[in-house]
Amino acid sequence: MIKLSSQPEIIYLQPKNHEPTLKFWEGLKNRKLLAPRCGDCGEIFFPPRGFCPKCLSENIEWVELSGKGKLHSWTEIHYLTPKPYILGVIDLAEGIGRMISRIEAEHKELKIDMPMKVDFIDVSDKLTLFIWRPDKVDSKHQKSESF
Amino acid sequence: MSRRVAIIGYGCLKIGKYGSEVSENELSIRAIKLALEDAGISKEDVNGLVTTPNYLLTLGLQLSVVSEYLRISPRVAAEIACGGIAGGLALKHAMNEIALGHADIVVCYGSVKESIRFKNIALVEPGMGIEIYDPTTQPYAVAGVIWAYACSGRRYMYEYGATEEHFAAACVRNRNNARHNPWAAFTTPITIEDVLKSPILCSPLKLLDCSAARDGAAAVVLASEKKARKITDTPIYIVGVGEHHDNSSFIPTDRCDKPITSFVAAREAAQRALKMAKVSVDDIDVAELYAPFSPQELMLPEDIGWFKKGEMVKAIMDGSTEIGGKIPINTDGGLLSRGHPAMVTPIYETISIVRQLRGESGKVQVDGAEIGLIHCEGGMLNNCIVFIFRRGD
Ligand SMILES: [Zn+2]
Repeated sequence: MIKLSSQPEIIYLQPKNHEPTLKFWEGLKNRKLLAPRCGDCGEIFFPPRGFCPKCLSENIEWVELSGKGKLHSWTEIHYLTPKPYILGVIDLAEGIGRMISRIEAEHKELKIDMPMKVDFIDVSDKLTLFIWRPDKVDSKHQKSESF
Repeated sequence: MSRRVAIIGYGCLKIGKYGSEVSENELSIRAIKLALEDAGISKEDVNGLVTTPNYLLTLGLQLSVVSEYLRISPRVAAEIACGGIAGGLALKHAMNEIALGHADIVVCYGSVKESIRFKNIALVEPGMGIEIYDPTTQPYAVAGVIWAYACSGRRYMYEYGATEEHFAAACVRNRNNARHNPWAAFTTPITIEDVLKSPILCSPLKLLDCSAARDGAAAVVLASEKKARKITDTPIYIVGVGEHHDNSSFIPTDRCDKPITSFVAAREAAQRALKMAKVSVDDIDVAELYAPFSPQELMLPEDIGWFKKGEMVKAIMDGSTEIGGKIPINTDGGLLSRGHPAMVTPIYETISIVRQLRGESGKVQVDGAEIGLIHCEGGMLNNCIVFIFRRGD
């Protein structure tokens, strides 16, 4: 049921997702970060669910997010893993919520609140996962803007 | 109709590792027997039993077994759960049953063998309990709950200038206190250096920054004021209780604006308890706070109100939370050194405060302690309950 992968590049657990949110996981396969939008009240929300947390409607549409965000915090996990990896909390640029994700970076590069961008990684034939990296282009861009 | 309720007795076992030679229910009986002896009553006086989950998935029917072992037929009984505040909720239910007149004397107890289930570190095993997280959190959240508290700790370092040394200082304070607690699991003296050099689990948290899952059993006897006055000269009244459940689970992900260095559930629960007790936070003489990891030892005293946000960075170093300081905290070692049988921890916290208010705490006694507070939490501070106890006359 729960499978801890021993692939050297990535350690992950098979998520226990449900039918109404399969679109989110299919989106990852297509290199898209999707979020549900309520077909009744228009609320865009994250994490994905089969109903709107604002009005409880099950009339759900899907929209693509920018894939940008900020690093709210992070930890390097040394326990129960063949090699350390970084887990972070991402504030989504749209301001609708947060993602808990593996971060692909050296811990020395990481700064709290730094710009981040999403990437995708095929962990098996059936499952593609999100992964976040420092958004170097964006931070350079922001620097040049401030000059 | 509402009656005042007092704690009139306690009993508990040393926290540690109990193997297969004794069952959870047998551990319960040992703790209950000690509590009844302390209260000076017989088991036939008990008309209520309230407990917490023992992980054996008996759906609360452990109460039938314990009733049979004791040969008593209580009028009220319940097993109550909501993560780590289970023990607090059990105490509240026991109190309410007496306040409403459904029972006069209730035993609130808990017993678990967590060292087997969770190995050494609280709640850590690949994929164990993964259902508590949203599916988008599940793929990478391999290491129990430590990662969430570690992210909270790192953000606190960023926002308030705390360092790993400040977190370690809380571990050392707790260990110094635990040395005088007859029931603590960890009593070997440690230094800040020892904490910093212990193995990294989830940076910035090292082994000694984390509470350890251990076995334990504890019981307290609650009674109506009328009964309490007849039975004991030192009733400890429950004068305030406050509870709050934030709409989040572990790191709040449903929105971006909730802090992870300050916890609304802790603040609200404390405010409600203080209001009910009609006391201010500065009237509290001694407190037991439920911090499973060292960074939250700094955040909680701020949320409950003794310090402003960020002030604990200084206060943890200057003795403010030690015996003789502004507010002595975790005088029996806290979760980090007492050991953490989660489903029983709030009952151990209660016992610690009862002993303080009765003046039985020996080398860690807070002089003249009259009002005490306990806090417990579930998830990552998403669910909190706070009690205020007062020594009776
Ligand atoms: Zn809606």
